[in-house]
Amino acid sequence: MDRNIVHIDLDSFFVSVERLNNPKLIGKPVLVGGTSDRGVVASCSYEARAFGVHSAMPMKQAKQLCPEAILVRGDHEQYSNYSNIVTEIISGDVPLYEKTSIDEFYIDLTGMDRYFGCYKMATELRQKIMKETNLPISFAMSTNKTVSKVGTGEAKPNGQKEIPFGTEKSFLAPLSIRKIPMVGDKTFQLLRDMGIQWIHTLQEMPLALMQQVLGDNGALIWKKANGIDNTPVIPYSERKSISTERTFDKDTIDVKALKGILIGMTEKLAFQLRSEEKLTACVTIKIRYSDFNTYTMQARIPYTSLDHVLIDRVSGLFDKLFQKRMLIRLIGIKFSHLIQGGHQFNMFEDTAEQIQLYQAMDKLRNRYGKDAVNRAAGMDLNDPKNTKK
Amino acid sequence: MKFIVSSSALQKPIEQIAGVINPKSVLPILDYFLFDLKKGRLTISATDLETSMTTSLNVESNADGKIAVPSKIMLETLKALPEQPLTFNADVETLNIEIVTDSGRYKLSGQKPDDFPKMPKIDSSSSISVKTAALGNAISKTIFATGTDEMRQALTGVLFELKKDGINFVATDANRLVRFRNTAVKPTEEISFVIPKKALNLLKSSLPNSEDAVAKIDYNKSNAFFTFGDVNLICRLIDEKFPDYKAVIPTENPNKLLINRLEFLGSIRRISIFSNKSTHQVRLKVAGSSLTVSAEDLDFSNEAKEELGCTYDGVDMEIGFNARFLADMLSALQSDDVVLNMSTPNRAGVLVPSSQNEGEEITMLVMPLMLNTYN
Repeated sequence: MDRNIVHIDLDSFFVSVERLNNPKLIGKPVLVGGTSDRGVVASCSYEARAFGVHSAMPMKQAKQLCPEAILVRGDHEQYSNYSNIVTEIISGDVPLYEKTSIDEFYIDLTGMDRYFGCYKMATELRQKIMKETNLPISFAMSTNKTVSKVGTGEAKPNGQKEIPFGTEKSFLAPLSIRKIPMVGDKTFQLLRDMGIQWIHTLQEMPLALMQQVLGDNGALIWKKANGIDNTPVIPYSERKSISTERTFDKDTIDVKALKGILIGMTEKLAFQLRSEEKLTACVTIKIRYSDFNTYTMQARIPYTSLDHVLIDRVSGLFDKLFQKRMLIRLIGIKFSHLIQGGHQFNMFEDTAEQIQLYQAMDKLRNRYGKDAVNRAAGMDLNDPKNTKK
Repeated sequence: MKFIVSSSALQKPIEQIAGVINPKSVLPILDYFLFDLKKGRLTISATDLETSMTTSLNVESNADGKIAVPSKIMLETLKALPEQPLTFNADVETLNIEIVTDSGRYKLSGQKPDDFPKMPKIDSSSSISVKTAALGNAISKTIFATGTDEMRQALTGVLFELKKDGINFVATDANRLVRFRNTAVKPTEEISFVIPKKALNLLKSSLPNSEDAVAKIDYNKSNAFFTFGDVNLICRLIDEKFPDYKAVIPTENPNKLLINRLEFLGSIRRISIFSNKSTHQVRLKVAGSSLTVSAEDLDFSNEAKEELGCTYDGVDMEIGFNARFLADMLSALQSDDVVLNMSTPNRAGVLVPSSQNEGEEITMLVMPLMLNTYN
């Protein structure tokens, strides 16, 4: 069956994010990475690439090649925030996607052509990401991952490309062997020494010869050069977490009510943890203000599934995070770093009575539904007029 | 200063105290040994400010003196040298050190002895003597149960609780607890202090194993001094109250499981391979005279179950434990059979050997894991 695989990649991602915050960087050569002489270039703008700079190059060398480049240290937290925003947009719109790095995704649109036209759909997705994040992004669509990835490289910067079924080989033929994913410095040198420069030479070589020279990898490179790649798009999953959030009908600033809601949410998630016999080691809280600015904060904790420990953490995080005296539109909680297992009793902190109380409450919930018993403070969560969804 | 000594005679004491030195110390002088030569007796000291060790040996010499010697290069040189006499020559003015062997000369530079931290002195302290073998045994029976949480300093050490009728050594990380009681020693006063783990590990590796050797423990409010043979170990006591452990040891655990220790340990070790790698959760199910040990790791579809014969006196029950804790405890014991005393799946299990050695009494307590058994 023909597949429709999209490779989508944020152009010079770190630089683009820096440019959002500092428009002065636009149109200038920019290097992101360790600013010391020993650092390496993590990302560089296209203006800098014109000087021969590329990522993973030692900063010292990059500065020699391009002395007028502006150096930026880089803020990884911010990058992963933007990456998460992009991930969220993609996950909302497509059936199957794989996140291979902070700025790179594969999307499988096979079967979607009957409804939307795959290329149209991918184009719309790209427009949406650009509109919502203001970040330049490129993609290419073909029948497999390798050809799409090479295609994205060709579409950049800030472009898109379709390689229709049947034209993969001719599309790859005139390109340098450097463009094949998997061909690094060493393999490149080796192939160059053999007199191979263009992919079409590889295409015309017998598979057995490549196998002889480079072993199993050689066979793989030969297949890629011929546009053959059957690897599936493996769904990106973060099912190592459970979460809940609530958008309010009317934005609120009532801290007491908010805390009550958080308690109710925590109880519910903690019950879910216990009934799946899981423990969490990371609590995240999310606040979206009425101006749509969203803030999150997380804390690592020892593995637990007990309400009182989690409620303490959640309200502590909320107090820290809720700094702006502004109306809140949404709050949410996420428990991540989940592992399988029961709570390890602590001889000095947990009492058997307390544990029995949890077990009795869980028993009631299992029998009469998950809202059967709650802390009074978290009660109003069950009031349907408060929930938007 | 100058002395002649055989390389192995110098290597042994140096290796013994080298463990004190913290490779990540912030003060450069703490990377040095202090060599103090007086009338043919060489005293070597090392410290990390919390724990200090000194040892001494006889050398051939007629020029006294004091100098701080870089520990790493000294130790490595001694290790790499074949057995032979060596001459150690140090100029206390220029701090140049020269080691001369049959075939070579090695030069290094020392530090001023006055920069080396002063060792705390034993003053107005009380003391007690314990056989080194008994002390070593008490340490190895308890130290594995100490905690690693820096926020709870008291739990990172072992409590020495001196009572009129014996000494209790207690260690816990809040999830398990070991109390080792030595009743052969009768202290004259009742007092307790917490010794840090590092000092105990050093003691364990340097305590002589001979039957009759005795270690003298002196203690005051802030330090403990262990003296045995030529070695002297001084450590700062952990200045935090040890929790009231007696309150958590259950007195009434009516369900008694008697089982062969090695069979039980073997089973726990095998089953734990199949348990979750973070929680090491295993389930023990006792019914009649059979114990079922099982574990599963849902993430990898791993599952294992074994049935063991046992003698059980109590109500049927299912209880979860961390397999690591059980394995640690079972391997620290020596008896053929052990008894696990339980109450309910939410309360501590108490593991004891079926018969205690004379003059000692060991009690191990392990907190269970909360199982979801009510669906």
